[in-house]
Amino acid sequence: MPPVSVEAMRQLAALNGFQWTDEDLERLRPAVERVMGLVARLEDLSLDAVEPVVQYRVG
Amino acid sequence: MVELAWISVAELARMIRGKDVSPREVVQAHLERIAALDGTLHAFITVCADAALAAARAAEADLVAGRAVGPLHGVPIGLKDLFETKGILTTAGSRILADHVPMRDATVVERLRAAGAIVLGKLNMHEFAYGAEGWNEAFGDVRNPWDATVARIPGGSSSGSGAAVAAGLCPGALGSDTGGSIRIPSSLCGITGLKPTYGRVSRSGVFPLAWSMDHVGPMARTVADCALMLQAIAGHDPADETTTVLPLPDCVGSLTGEVRGLRVGLLRGFFVDSCLPGVVAAVDGAAKTLETLGARVEPAFLPAAEHVASAFFAILASESLAYHASWFRARGHEYSADVRTRLARGAFVTGMQYVRAQQVRRRVRDEINALFARHDLLLAPTTPIPAPALAQREVELPGGTRNLTVALISLTSVWSFAGFPVCSLPCGFADGLPVGMQLVGRPFDEATVLRAADAYQRSTDWHRRRPPVGG
Repeated sequence: MPPVSVEAMRQLAALNGFQWTDEDLERLRPAVERVMGLVARLEDLSLDAVEPVVQYRVG
Repeated sequence: MVELAWISVAELARMIRGKDVSPREVVQAHLERIAALDGTLHAFITVCADAALAAARAAEADLVAGRAVGPLHGVPIGLKDLFETKGILTTAGSRILADHVPMRDATVVERLRAAGAIVLGKLNMHEFAYGAEGWNEAFGDVRNPWDATVARIPGGSSSGSGAAVAAGLCPGALGSDTGGSIRIPSSLCGITGLKPTYGRVSRSGVFPLAWSMDHVGPMARTVADCALMLQAIAGHDPADETTTVLPLPDCVGSLTGEVRGLRVGLLRGFFVDSCLPGVVAAVDGAAKTLETLGARVEPAFLPAAEHVASAFFAILASESLAYHASWFRARGHEYSADVRTRLARGAFVTGMQYVRAQQVRRRVRDEINALFARHDLLLAPTTPIPAPALAQREVELPGGTRNLTVALISLTSVWSFAGFPVCSLPCGFADGLPVGMQLVGRPFDEATVLRAADAYQRSTDWHRRRPPVGG
C-alpha cells in the first residue's frame, strides 16, 4: 500500500461526517495505513461468483 | 467460606435445592472474596451487594415455603457490564455511559433471573467490547489472577468475567464474543467459555459491537456449568430477529462422558504455524486424550482462514463505527485512546470492501461446512500465546513479531465471523500460565461440542487448578 496522505484521510472522514484536525489525522495515519493494507487484500480474491452473506427478514 | 467460592454452579444449585447451604451463605461468601480481592483484580465495575443479599433472602424464603425453583435457584452470577440491567448502572466499560441506568433487563438477564440466578454484580470489560486485551482506562485494567504479581492481562473483551470466575469471585458469568471475547479471557484465565451458534442466544438489551458477529454466552469453571447456563438463556426471542426458532436440545442431559466414534479434525497449518510451541504441545496432548477416550482424531486444514483477518476487520470496523457514529462525533474525546483509534479506522473502509468481506464470509462458511462432512468436531488452540504482560503491545511468535491484538484474535475470529459454536476450555500450561483449546461444532450442535468438552474435563484436571491470586 502506498502511504496515505492526511488530505485523502480528511476527505474520506468528511464523507462519513467526521471533522478531524490535522493533528488527529496524523495520529491516526499509521493505524489507517495498516488497516487499508489489510483490507486491500480483499481486492486480490476472486469472489465474483460468490453472493455475499446478508441478514434480512421482511415482515 | 473460602471453599464455597470454589464450588461449581451446578453443585451450588444442587446444594441449595437440597438445603445443604443457603443462598445467603453462598452470596455472602462471594461478596467477602470480592471485598478481599477485587481491589487488586478490578474485575467488577458495580457490586450489587444489597440487592444480591435481598435476592438471596427471597430465594431462601422460596425454599422454606416449598415453592418451585429454577435450575439456577440462589446461585450468584456476574454479568459483563454490556448487559442492560434494570435499575443497575450499565456502563459498557465506558465514560460515555458513566450514568446509564437502564429501565429494563436484557433478555438473557431476564432468563437468568427466571431460572433463579442472583445478579452479584456487573463486570469490567474492554470499553464497548472493542479489544481483546481487557484494558480499561475508565475503570482500571483488569488483572489476570494467574500471575502472582498481577502484571498480566486477562484477555478481553470479557476481561472481568474471565478474572472473576478464575479467582472465585463468582462461579459463573455472562460474556459476549465478536472476535473471541468469551474465548480469549477463558483461555488466558484458565476457565471454560462457550460461544454458541449465531442466533442461539438473544442479543436484545446487549450493547452491540458488530451486529452481524456479536454472540452472548456463558463463562464458568466447568463445561457442565456452561451447559446449565446455556440451557437457561438460549432460545427464540421476538426482540432479536436473528434468534432461531429451533429448539435447544437437552445440553445438560447430553453430557454423557461418551466420545467414542466422534471424528475430531485437529486443525493444522494456519492454526498452529504462529503458535508458541508450548501451546501446540498442550493442544496436541488434548487430542491424544480424546483419542484415548475413543474419538478418532485426524489432521484438518482450513485454507480460507488466511483471508479471515481482512474480511473480519472490514466488517468489524464498519459496523462498530456505524453504531457509535453519533456519540463519536459529539463525544469522541471521552473514549479511551485505544478504542478511539479503533473506531476511527472504520471511516476508511468502503462499502465495496464491506460487501467483499461478506462474500469472503460465505466462502469461509462453506469451507468449514465441507470440513464438517468429514469431522464432527474441530480442535484448535484458542490463543497462540498464554497471558502477556499488561504493557506488552507486540509478541514474538514463530514467523516473526506480531501486533498483540492481531495475535490474540488470530485463531478465534474465524468462528465468530462464520457463526459456528465453540467451547474454549483449559488443556494445559505454558510457562506456568493456562493454555486453552477450542472445540468447534456444526451450527446449532452445541450439544456435541459440550459433550466432548465435558468428557475431556472428566478425565483431566486442568480446569480444577487454582490461580495464585485468591487460590
